[in-house]
Amino acid sequence: MALPLSYSVRSLFARRLRTGLTVGVISLVVVATTLFLGLLSSLQRTLRTTGSERNLIVMRKGSSNDGSSQLQLAAFQDIRFFEGVARDAAGNPMVSPELVVQPFFRRKDGGRENVLVRGVEPAPALAVHDEVRIVEGRMFEPSSGEVVVGRGVAGRYEGAQLGQTLEFGRGRWQVVGVFESGGDSFESEVWADVRELANDAKRPFPYSSLRLAVAKGADRDALVRRIDDDPRHALEAQPEPAYYAKQAESANTLYVLVVGLAVLAGIGAVFGATNTLYAAVQARTAEIGTLRAIGFSRASILVSFLVESLLTALVGFAVGGSLAWLLGLLVSWALGGVGFGAATFTTSVIQIRVGAGDLGAALVLSLAVGLLGGFFPARRAARLRPVEALREA
Amino acid sequence: MIRFLPLIWRNLGRNKVRSSLTGAAIALAIALVCVLRTMPAGLDNFLSTLAKNTRISVHNEAGIVYPLPYSYLQKVRSVPGVVEATTWTWFGGAFEEEKGVTFPNFAVDAETIGAVYEDLGIAPEQLETFRRQRDATLVGRLTLQKYGWKIGDRITLKSTVFPVDLELQIVGEIPAAVDPRAWLQREYLSQALEAQGVSFDLVNMIWARVDDADRVNEVMRTIDELFRNSEAETASETEKSFFGNLFGNLQGFVTVILMVTGMVTLCIVFIAANTASMSIRERVGEIAVMKALGFRWRALFGMLVLEAALLATLAGAAGTVITLGLAQALKSVAGFSPQLGPLASFVVTNAMLVEGLFLACFIGIVSGLVPAFGASRRSVAATLREIF
Repeated sequence: MALPLSYSVRSLFARRLRTGLTVGVISLVVVATTLFLGLLSSLQRTLRTTGSERNLIVMRKGSSNDGSSQLQLAAFQDIRFFEGVARDAAGNPMVSPELVVQPFFRRKDGGRENVLVRGVEPAPALAVHDEVRIVEGRMFEPSSGEVVVGRGVAGRYEGAQLGQTLEFGRGRWQVVGVFESGGDSFESEVWADVRELANDAKRPFPYSSLRLAVAKGADRDALVRRIDDDPRHALEAQPEPAYYAKQAESANTLYVLVVGLAVLAGIGAVFGATNTLYAAVQARTAEIGTLRAIGFSRASILVSFLVESLLTALVGFAVGGSLAWLLGLLVSWALGGVGFGAATFTTSVIQIRVGAGDLGAALVLSLAVGLLGGFFPARRAARLRPVEALREA
Repeated sequence: MIRFLPLIWRNLGRNKVRSSLTGAAIALAIALVCVLRTMPAGLDNFLSTLAKNTRISVHNEAGIVYPLPYSYLQKVRSVPGVVEATTWTWFGGAFEEEKGVTFPNFAVDAETIGAVYEDLGIAPEQLETFRRQRDATLVGRLTLQKYGWKIGDRITLKSTVFPVDLELQIVGEIPAAVDPRAWLQREYLSQALEAQGVSFDLVNMIWARVDDADRVNEVMRTIDELFRNSEAETASETEKSFFGNLFGNLQGFVTVILMVTGMVTLCIVFIAANTASMSIRERVGEIAVMKALGFRWRALFGMLVLEAALLATLAGAAGTVITLGLAQALKSVAGFSPQLGPLASFVVTNAMLVEGLFLACFIGIVSGLVPAFGASRRSVAATLREIF
């Protein structure tokens, strides 16, 4: 016969301080892990979900990112008419010529950062980057000193909100729109008119890179080969997801760090939980002897202690998980997101969102802590011999 | 109290499983705290050991990626108060192409770099070789260690900015432990570019050393005034302020790290307090007997607190050993990371280890205080009545 669940629950309440401290340890481990995982998965989402499978990015050979690439007008004019490039409803090639500069912006808290400003032509840019949507205001008009800003930029820098005036480079720019792109790295960018930006930055070349959409049914690899092998321009094309995946690789350090820390913290919590339950078994020796004497089996005692340990872990998870979720919101609200350096020397702004996946991982961790921490004490309890246990008391 | 040490030791050994579980948990947590601390400390360390208030950066007012004309160097050099000035241009060389830029590298003016960075402790003969040998490079210690390179080795860096690959010979080391950067000759890059018909007359920034700390502000004003209304207006700032700003975007992440460090510390408190309360509660009877035998409550209190402190300190010592191993492991996977900059240098200093040890000891004492006070002040009669 199994021991009722209420026995395990009541046992927890019998030693409030110990249970409380153990729950505290587990929930702190859960908060730390969840917060870190939330940050990491937000960072990875930002980097990995940027770009679309349909698009190619074209840069100068050897450039690792579009911040260090440069491209002449002739290359743009040639590639526009390559076979396999998609065309919009009006028959125009879907090729977006882009110029990347990284001017200083002033953060709201006073610091200074490089921000990625992307010069584009409004129509092809929105056609090629179909994940980018203007959510407030409107797209900028060319040659009128207007810009649109990503969601991450709007919250973080001075003068970056709709209707305000941004100062960067040599000029002053009117913010006429805010765009979103599903939390990817475009949201840390400002988009301006490509010619105006080139003038402002006095670059000796008009573009950094091209983004183009491959026509449906066209041979993407053939188009990539044709661009790569073109002897006139020394360019290189790759699918956007591959490009951003390469940018994400450098986040691996962080990944190793966070997972390593979570596992170590988890092991520490296992030790703490084991300790508490061992003490419980010791204090309840007589009780366990009695239970065995009145007919409860070894298995039911083992299960009941494991349940007690799992309950502790679950409470710890519930407390820790909700705390982490709140902290994530608080950090995003108070700091306008967490900044990381990007390969382009600019700042990517990450909003910590504690998602279901992060909570799931924390749940697995706390259940593992509960099971491992409960197993040895529960086994000891189950192995107590009733006669000796009763005599000891 | 010393004469009670054997007794305290025996008490710790009484429940070996509990003591070792507690010790292991605290050791792990201390190691986590120390490793987490290396991240903000890496930034502080970088700013305090490498950045000087008497070295100023002169860069384009619009941003560091906006170039300056090379001719500005001569003008900056002639500003009164400037001892020497040199230039930096981001070369963005990748050692393994598929991994991208794994350490920052710059083309610099070989003639003047030594005089501007005299405080970095680069050996004079290595500087001299760097000045004379066209394909020479000086590499930061962090990067040398990461790749296992030695002086004399040849490496090829593929630029991600310029359309050139440069073959270089390592002729010296930039010795600071946290320094990842590498320098190569501007002249070498310039010739390689000219061979391809590309002219090269821009720089990313100019670095100048000022003779007198009191004159720095005045010199910076003079320089910026010099280029006012020119094709590229400049903004000057001290090296400390420059790097502080450069890595200022990591402030949010540092905040998260500090929060997590705090939580892990609190964890240690909970684990230690739990153990102290459990082992003291089990011993109330025997404490009452000792009091009945004539032990003073102060002695008993001291013994109990010392027991908790000893356990935590021993665990802290084990934790520092784990820290060293962890940091080593992290260093081998990390290196220069564009996301984290100097936060990912994972350099453990002795001070950090000592602080970790003190933290453990302090937490041990604190965790023992409440239960030990309660147990040692309980009246003997009350306890004994409860037991018998």
